[in-house]
Amino acid sequence: MNYKAGVCNFCGTGCGHILNVEGGAVNGVFALQGHPVSKGRLCVRGWHMHELLRDSQRIDSPMIKKNGRFEKAGYDEAISLVAKKLGEYKNPSSEIAFLASPRSSNEDGYLLMKLARSVFKTNNISLDSESGHRNSLNVLHRGTGMAGMLGSLEDIKKAEYILVIGTDLTRQNPIIGSEIHMAARAGSKVVTVGSKLTQIAKLSDVHLQLKPGSKKVFLAAVAKSLIEENLHDAEFIQKHTEGFDGFANSLGSLSHNDISSITGLGLEDIKTVARDLATAKTAMVFFTSGISGLDEDTVSYIYNLFVIAGKIGKEGCGVNPVTGICNLQGGYDMGLAPDLLTGFRPISDKSAAKSFSDAWGAGFPDEPGRGVYEMLADKSSGLKALVVVDHDESIVRQAEAIKKLDFVVYVGSFENPFAEYADVVIPSAAYVEYDGTYTSTDRRVQLSRKKTEPAEGVMPAWRIFTGIAEKASARWSYSSPADVMAEIAKLTPSYSGISYDRFSGVGGIQWPCDGRRPEGTRYFRVDDAASKIKLAGVTGSFKTMRPSGEYPWLLMVGKANHFWHQNNLMKRTFIPKREYNATLLLYPKGYVEISGDDAKKLQVRDRWPVNIVSQYGSMKVAVRVSDEVRSETAFVPYFIQDMITEFLLAHNELIIEQGEDAIIPIRIEKV
Amino acid sequence: MFLIKKSEVLKLAEELSKTYAVYGPVVEKESNQTFFVRPDSIGDIDLDAPIPSQPPKHTVFPQIERIFHYSYDKGAKRAEIIADFKPEPKALFGLRSCDLNGVQCLDRFFIGQEFTDDVYLEHRKKTFIVTNTCVKPFKQCFCVCTDSGPSAREGYDLNMTDLGDEYLVEAGSDRGKALAEKMGLKKAGSGHLEAKKAVVDGSISRFESIATDNKAWISRVMNRITTGFIKGEIWEYIGNQCFECGACTFVCPSCSCFNIEDVNRKDSSTDRLRSWDSCSFEGYTRMAGDHNPRKPVEDRRNKRFFCKLSYSQSKKYLRPGCVGCGRCQWVCPGDIGLPNVVTYIRREITSR
Amino acid sequence: MCEKGNCENTNRAVTIPEIATIDEIKDEIEDVKTFYLSFDDKKLDGSFRIKSGQFIMCTVFGAGEFAVSLPPSPENDRFHISVRKVGKVTDALHELTAGDKVGIRGPFGNGFPFDEIKGKNVVYVAGGIGLIPLRSSIVHVLQHREDFGRIILLYGARSPKDLMYEYMIEKWQKIDGFETFISIDNPVDGWKGEVGFVNQLIEKANVPAENTVAFVCGPPVMFNNVIRDLMARGLKDDSIISTLERHMKCGIGKCQHCAIGRTLVCTDGPVYTYRQIKTLGEQI
Repeated sequence: MNYKAGVCNFCGTGCGHILNVEGGAVNGVFALQGHPVSKGRLCVRGWHMHELLRDSQRIDSPMIKKNGRFEKAGYDEAISLVAKKLGEYKNPSSEIAFLASPRSSNEDGYLLMKLARSVFKTNNISLDSESGHRNSLNVLHRGTGMAGMLGSLEDIKKAEYILVIGTDLTRQNPIIGSEIHMAARAGSKVVTVGSKLTQIAKLSDVHLQLKPGSKKVFLAAVAKSLIEENLHDAEFIQKHTEGFDGFANSLGSLSHNDISSITGLGLEDIKTVARDLATAKTAMVFFTSGISGLDEDTVSYIYNLFVIAGKIGKEGCGVNPVTGICNLQGGYDMGLAPDLLTGFRPISDKSAAKSFSDAWGAGFPDEPGRGVYEMLADKSSGLKALVVVDHDESIVRQAEAIKKLDFVVYVGSFENPFAEYADVVIPSAAYVEYDGTYTSTDRRVQLSRKKTEPAEGVMPAWRIFTGIAEKASARWSYSSPADVMAEIAKLTPSYSGISYDRFSGVGGIQWPCDGRRPEGTRYFRVDDAASKIKLAGVTGSFKTMRPSGEYPWLLMVGKANHFWHQNNLMKRTFIPKREYNATLLLYPKGYVEISGDDAKKLQVRDRWPVNIVSQYGSMKVAVRVSDEVRSETAFVPYFIQDMITEFLLAHNELIIEQGEDAIIPIRIEKV
Repeated sequence: MFLIKKSEVLKLAEELSKTYAVYGPVVEKESNQTFFVRPDSIGDIDLDAPIPSQPPKHTVFPQIERIFHYSYDKGAKRAEIIADFKPEPKALFGLRSCDLNGVQCLDRFFIGQEFTDDVYLEHRKKTFIVTNTCVKPFKQCFCVCTDSGPSAREGYDLNMTDLGDEYLVEAGSDRGKALAEKMGLKKAGSGHLEAKKAVVDGSISRFESIATDNKAWISRVMNRITTGFIKGEIWEYIGNQCFECGACTFVCPSCSCFNIEDVNRKDSSTDRLRSWDSCSFEGYTRMAGDHNPRKPVEDRRNKRFFCKLSYSQSKKYLRPGCVGCGRCQWVCPGDIGLPNVVTYIRREITSR
Repeated sequence: MCEKGNCENTNRAVTIPEIATIDEIKDEIEDVKTFYLSFDDKKLDGSFRIKSGQFIMCTVFGAGEFAVSLPPSPENDRFHISVRKVGKVTDALHELTAGDKVGIRGPFGNGFPFDEIKGKNVVYVAGGIGLIPLRSSIVHVLQHREDFGRIILLYGARSPKDLMYEYMIEKWQKIDGFETFISIDNPVDGWKGEVGFVNQLIEKANVPAENTVAFVCGPPVMFNNVIRDLMARGLKDDSIISTLERHMKCGIGKCQHCAIGRTLVCTDGPVYTYRQIKTLGEQI
């Protein structure tokens, strides 16, 4: 039987697929009908997994840079050098950092975390997507104790009311988009809220096209309306939650006039949302939680709205952040953050920290470390050595800072421009070449089994990390990823019931999986919380970017079709790459979407050049006339290298600060 | 016409495996999903398994394959094309009738037109086909609407029908007959043919009402699609629900669009790969330079259904392109599998 | 090779290219070069027969394959292609030098009518590089000057430097009774020809409506204007003939990339009458 079941490794949905393995190569992919989430569906990316896995641009040998040029080396030599060099730094807390990958398996991620902390004594370890998903997890964790999606993708059809905020799920996580579409067809009411008329917006019952940057105000307004009309779930609030009064009071400063003028929506629209949400027996909310997720304050309003509506803690309900990368959730579960241990426990939790140092037989600093990007940006950080695992090319943006480092290591499967900056390059096996678990966005831990052999001599990452640790005199004795999972389970309450022999069939296990729920946990229940559910603290500030006389337009920044994660993986396929290039053929230098009315006013047509001018910079791009944006709002996809460097980098802080909702006031000039 | 005991039916496959690479329905254990593949051992073939999740077209038209490779030495100006494409002869054992119709569509399209596709021909020319009558329909089957089942009528070497304790084995070709005789199969009589008819009638009676109900509608919809008398709004409604994943094409027994890529290998040779493609993709019709004649997604959906359900395309297949297997309905994230599209068009016709 | 792709006389598969050598490269207008080719298998030089209006699939080794129209006349002409840089594969072709090898499959497609239009007036209307696919027919018809009525070329380009085959047009103009009208979009110093869009030449040339066929090739806007004006002059939609360009992968009617409505450009076309084009059921 040459078809082998597995887990799709692109986005955070965690769809099941089945790979056709012939002659040691992956020659095809097919959808897995029995998978509880994907149920026999895949998206355009998933249907071309085999094209990626056949890519020949792999790193096939360790390399060490000598006199500025790479020379092939043996694993032993490369690993010894890494262990020796990293061991030489006297102040590892400031001198060494590790950049982990949200695509690594849980086992690989865990061992990298253990390597950084227990062997090289630094807490400077982080994932690329520091802002987005972390914001969501912070809010959910503080409120409920569960640092993950409160609902389940399996239960989407059980939600009578579904709110989708911002992102175009049909593009970013198409199978989740599909589940929502199917739910709508089966009678659920789907409402989307965003500034673009996306496909998911077209498929929903109601699309509220609000002004860019006003989602938070919208959410606060719905909460306010809920309370004003006495539609909040008073019994639920009283019995299970704390912090309601504070939250209710914070909404007082929001006037009805502000709501309309900031969001551009009518009050009746907002009241309808509040009423529908309150009267539905079950409701879910979905929002993007990737590299550029929502800011923490906005997530807090989403969460609070659902708490006061009584729409968490039961089946068919939930506040559901959606991750864009296969193991972003697992990355946080594995403690790939400067201040976290596994299971989202803070490093400041003394008893947790002690359990780790006891189990590892080695201590680690008690102060939280710093994130890698933060350190690279800070010229006085003192950073000297950096270990990067399987990363998108976006790290190249930090090229100048990285070039100045003393020692850089790259561990990855595919050739990558970043590898050029490394002193040591160590190839790792691709994900189908060894066993590993991946945790998708609904806390679903799934085992992806080995299907093909790696190229001769190429090791999986867990072996590489083990090798480095042992060269540095640590005694790690894992003979398989299953051993690593056994250790994770021992140290992580939410994973305590998970082991490799538990994985049979398809669909995996949703954490928490412990003595109380050995079968795993589909959705958060009220009595799961150790104490009462807490409403999230909110700023109560509703300042928004507003257009001004000089810059009368609001520019949104976001994703485009087929563009996915800097295209690091997609460009290794044929069909998705062609689809991506199809856009580039028409708009080789990028585009700005504006409405037909605005194009008329500017006297420009599709593909005509315009200048976009903001306070910080300007760029020339082609116009794309679109019915997806409203007048006086414009949209640029951040998918073209030149655009990223030339224009958006000038707005970097503005964008990082605002997250997905990044808005730049601009004016547009005809060229 | 012959008979073979149920317990011995796989002996046919054993015999075929001496000459052919035998493919058949096999249930993958971890997922419990049926695939039409080469089994690890003939005993793994399960003739009672549900309709395979993927059509057997990959046996004659793989998802991705190298059709030749070449190398070019620019310094010496020497080009060498190595056409070493030689697939092994295959036997498709236990093929469902709809899927046989799919293979026949591919035959007529790849071989029966002005040009013969030599890659397809290589795969196909020695193929031995053994079909298996569906004694009951599976989820979302509607072959009764597209005249492609539940029992095969032509195009097989042997056709098997489960009569309870034994299979009726009908020979559709000389080599099929020769195999049956070589195996020493018992001759069947006219009573067995009647028994088969009862099995087929029983199967037909068990189709869901939506399938039987749609029977006449498929031809009316074909008429509409051929003449183009379908409102733009209908295509727009369908287009809005298209996720552009390509799944409908990949699981369709008769879809045959492909892409060609020249892929440079590390050893400086180049593979010319041919892989499945789909007309639902925006880049599919895009020409170098820019112009894309078929832009909005509803146009591209329109194109696919035109291909499945129009007289002009039927001329190439000598039957409708849709064989009623229902797989597109399983895999579609937008819930616009062909049966639903027929329903939407039908709704439009009746609302006038 | 033969006119039908499955070559009886070479016994080779239609999906496998023949190797040819680039004998000479000529720079035409900006981004366009002409490549003169000959087959390495000398037997093919005699058997490679084309019809005007057909195309070949050309492999640039290491880059890929593309479809390109054939400009040479079927009789007594050198085998060549004229190619504009428009993407990865054609860019790679432009990087090649004389002596380099390419792969050739074909010829494919139906081609322009020739015997059927003998005795008629023939009008060629081309815009920009739209002259390339018409060249074969123009040369062929001129080679048989006596078999045709009036022969007229109406050719327009953006500017003098965008005129394809200008040096050839000068040669053709010496042929008795070949009428040429050439225009550029905007006036420039030193230009002695016409100024304006090519459709405006129709009246200027006093194009006859009776017993006339028109071959039209050029960008979509020009195409639509020319068709409109020719029809207004009284030409019938079935005596206006064009050749369509489509994204193609196989050339033999299998990959379906070039499908327009119910037709496949590679095997049913690329040459269509305007009457056919109107009923393809899709934007062209």
